[in-house]
Amino acid sequence: MKEFLGLCGFNEKEIELELPRVEKAFTKLGITASDIEQGKLRLKTYYAIELEGVRKIIRLVLRECINSLLVKDEGVEKIIYGFMCPGIDLISSALACKSRKVYAIHHSWALHIVVGCILGKLEGILEAAEEKWLKAGIVSHCANVKTLVGPVMLGLFPKPDLLITSGFLCETAPKTLDLLYELYNIPVRYIDAPPDRELGEYSLPNDRVAPMAALSMRKVVQAVQEIVGFEISDDLLTEVLEARNRQEAVMGRIKAVIENSNPLPLSPALENIWTCLGALPLNIDGIEEATEALSTLYIELQERVARGIGVVEKDAPRVMAILPMGQTDPRLEQLACEVGIAIVATDQSVVMPPLGTSDDPYVKYFIARLNGSMGLPLKKRVPLIVEGCRKLNIDGVLDRYHVGCRSVAADALLIESAVKRELGIPVLLLEWESFDPRVFNLNEYKKRLEIFKTMMLEKKNKT
Amino acid sequence: MQNERLDIHLRERPAQLEEAKRKGVKVIGYFPGNYVPEELIYASGAIPVCLANGGSPQPAAAALSVVPNMICPFARTQIGERLSKKDPYYSMIDMLVAPITCQHLKKAAEVWEYFDGLEIFKLGIPQQHKNDFELEYFGGRLRLLKDRLQTFTGNNITAEKMREAVELYNRMRVLLRQMSTLRKASTPSISALDFIKLNHASFYADPVFMVEVLDSVYRELKQENQGIKIESPRILLVGPSIGKGDYQVLELISAAGGEIVIEEICEGVRYYWNEIDNRGDIFQSLVKGYLVDRVPCAFMRYSTGERFNHALRLIEEFNVSGVIWYELLCCETYDSESYFFSRKLSERNIPMLTLEYDYGTDIAGQLKTRIEAFIEILKG
Repeated sequence: MKEFLGLCGFNEKEIELELPRVEKAFTKLGITASDIEQGKLRLKTYYAIELEGVRKIIRLVLRECINSLLVKDEGVEKIIYGFMCPGIDLISSALACKSRKVYAIHHSWALHIVVGCILGKLEGILEAAEEKWLKAGIVSHCANVKTLVGPVMLGLFPKPDLLITSGFLCETAPKTLDLLYELYNIPVRYIDAPPDRELGEYSLPNDRVAPMAALSMRKVVQAVQEIVGFEISDDLLTEVLEARNRQEAVMGRIKAVIENSNPLPLSPALENIWTCLGALPLNIDGIEEATEALSTLYIELQERVARGIGVVEKDAPRVMAILPMGQTDPRLEQLACEVGIAIVATDQSVVMPPLGTSDDPYVKYFIARLNGSMGLPLKKRVPLIVEGCRKLNIDGVLDRYHVGCRSVAADALLIESAVKRELGIPVLLLEWESFDPRVFNLNEYKKRLEIFKTMMLEKKNKT
Repeated sequence: MQNERLDIHLRERPAQLEEAKRKGVKVIGYFPGNYVPEELIYASGAIPVCLANGGSPQPAAAALSVVPNMICPFARTQIGERLSKKDPYYSMIDMLVAPITCQHLKKAAEVWEYFDGLEIFKLGIPQQHKNDFELEYFGGRLRLLKDRLQTFTGNNITAEKMREAVELYNRMRVLLRQMSTLRKASTPSISALDFIKLNHASFYADPVFMVEVLDSVYRELKQENQGIKIESPRILLVGPSIGKGDYQVLELISAAGGEIVIEEICEGVRYYWNEIDNRGDIFQSLVKGYLVDRVPCAFMRYSTGERFNHALRLIEEFNVSGVIWYELLCCETYDSESYFFSRKLSERNIPMLTLEYDYGTDIAGQLKTRIEAFIEILKG
């Protein structure tokens, strides 16, 4: 265990201090010695832990996962879970700034990484949810919500005092929380705004949907304040938002290095780990610590680039992968590297420039966040992806579409045809579940990725 | 007699609409779900047509060339019909009003938008309506829709025209409600299939004509409603959608000896329980009537409990002995709710059968067997 924690970036002093907590949390999860061995192997195989920045980031993620499992044991009085919920990053950080007796988290992301990606131990959690209303099979319930319901059913996560979600991208999350309310009496609040912008509105300031979402979030914050018994002021939220923006700026720099370097300096398997920091419930100091960890990674990546170190060969075919990435399993992304494919970008890189401005931190937040690729209508999203591919000199698109998400999966075929038509480059469609490691099929994926690579090289050679 | 009149009217309707279009009248389509006020369209001088086809495997399969199969077959049908343009209603419309309800129907509208130069108005439906700002949002969208319709048709939507339109559609709602509630009797004089077909006809027929027909049919049924008491198990049908043409499950239930006496369906059946208040600010009335005073669809927030309580009321009022939950494949919200409903109904000793269907022909035998077994259980 000590070696495991060391690989996760804990120093000796921290290991001594944290060991009992980690053991306690892992016992809850049913983590065995062989799971720890598997975790060590995965860290060494998939996660570039030779980089100090990576270790710092994993340390923060592991620490948060442990915190979330031990909240009740450690005297936290009020627990709030956000789920599929823009805004929870601000709310949780604001709460963390003001009290240690309150804990709010977008809980599943840290769990995905530690229990799914590193320890490979998510099956039991998914099955616990499937025994309830999130059954397996062709209905394709999103496994992300299973990672919320499963831990609550298994008693891994305590019953929270409040659940918050939104319906910007799906109905599954709100419906799941609705059932948690009806069946287990867990209070629920929703941050909503109808995603009904028309095409012409994207070239105008977002003065309709963003303010609506902001009002909805304010209402939820009122409910949070009533539960925790103290105020979350606009000034505090502004402070958090600014700290988060600084963090995002560093993330943007990392993304730019990955997109523009040859050879690819970092495995795409790490993307959900470094981007996860944006969702952890860190107070301002914590956000600064996370930003510093990201800066370390950024510097190390620059060094790698300067020395020509890559995770694939130089001039490997450059691929844009469509979101969401493998959230609970690093193997597909790693396999792409092993086959010699450089996933240099995701469609997270393609964003409609947000228009409009506001002094209201809530409105400001939503203006910036409602223009990402996944939330755009097809007629905006598809050309944006095509344009992004063109700009980044992409050789092929990997659309591993997440069947549990109607919103993004439904776009896959039209993205494929547009990319082929407009750019003449290959597209590999994989129907999969971003949050369910059980779908991973090494032989099938390897074969398809190899063919994909061959097609990209042939196309490159012709041109 | 009335059925024959209606059949003739529906056969001639596409030609009538084409003729109206030639004279400059706009035909405006909208997706079902009962969130689009037909009154607004009608008051603009345009002809509203609810696009609610379903049940046929071909259009749903045709859509698989552009969307994967985790989009529900009803939404896929709306895509497939527009792509294939075999159904005249789907090809003749001049504008689409797309209520942004569930992800499936939202995606159907996006696919239309992607392929078409058609004017599309996205009518955002607030997923909750406890707060003033949510009601104002919906009201704002309706006002914008009014402006858009005025520009599009070149006609003014006056207060008087609005009131006339509301009155007309209220009359239709009242008649459908009266007809539906006839089925509370121990001798229902109209079958679920016939009622739903009438309901579907009301989406396409001229509304003035339809009111006349419904009125006559209702008077006939009222007189007939004195027949022999039926012994068939009385069934509540719950589900996301019964498209126009999606009649297989209804027929199988009837053939197995079950009697659907009431439906709780979100799409494809006109919402007829309440009327729109025709006094005061008409937009407030529309917001109230279309958003607030109604049983929420499963995509709405806090809807599960409210929908269950509504189902319990229907079970009591219509003397229901069993529930058939008819969901479309990959409809994640209804699938989640089915767990809740079956648990809660079981606590009350009310049997429930869950059926999933994708408009395919290959599972008809399986559906038949399961329905027959369920009816046998209900018969005791």
